[in-house]
Amino acid sequence: MEGSENSIYALKISAGQERNVARMLARKSKDSGVGVSAVLVPESLKGYILVESSTKIDMQNPAFKIPHLRGIVESKTKGKEDKEENTVTFEEVKKFLNPEPIISSIQKGSIVELISGPFKGERAKVVRIDESREEVVLELIEAAVPIPVTVKGDQIRIIQKEAD
Amino acid sequence: MAMKACTSCKRISTKERCPVCNNPTSSNWSGFLVIIDPDNSDIAKELHIELPGEYALRVR
Repeated sequence: MEGSENSIYALKISAGQERNVARMLARKSKDSGVGVSAVLVPESLKGYILVESSTKIDMQNPAFKIPHLRGIVESKTKGKEDKEENTVTFEEVKKFLNPEPIISSIQKGSIVELISGPFKGERAKVVRIDESREEVVLELIEAAVPIPVTVKGDQIRIIQKEAD
Repeated sequence: MAMKACTSCKRISTKERCPVCNNPTSSNWSGFLVIIDPDNSDIAKELHIELPGEYALRVR
């Protein structure tokens, strides 16, 4: 990336309020002239948002007095120059910008766990994959009668790549 | 009103068609991004976003 002086900070947010805080932060920074240029809410990062700013984020600033905003993430990682920074590198942020479809890593026969919906917590075996619709057909392992269940690719988590 | 994201430019709106590029929108989207200053944002440059506003990261 070209040498811009923008830094990316991670902010701790009450779970479930990420989008609201991002919207409010955007509105407030527009009004108060804080150098925030973008607010990112990655789906995979619950309870945190990433803020791109040209100025250092000061939690004492009234622009950051937002409900559900818990504070800035202090990292203790020391860089090569032995400086303590709270910023996230752009390389780390890049992987949130282009989330890879989960479905591409799923194979037929994999053992997965359902993470949402009526069968949350159940384990299932992948029977069929519909890549265009990002759906998978599963068969619940613990069910007495095998019933095919169709779920969206983001509702499952892979436990075992491929069963025997 | 349900938020919908444009299938082409990923801009979030409540309309059936994107107000900017007139492509159809989808209610199945994930990830959320607010661009305030696209000229000074590395994130906006990476995603080729030129207009400030709300965007989704992934639209199905």
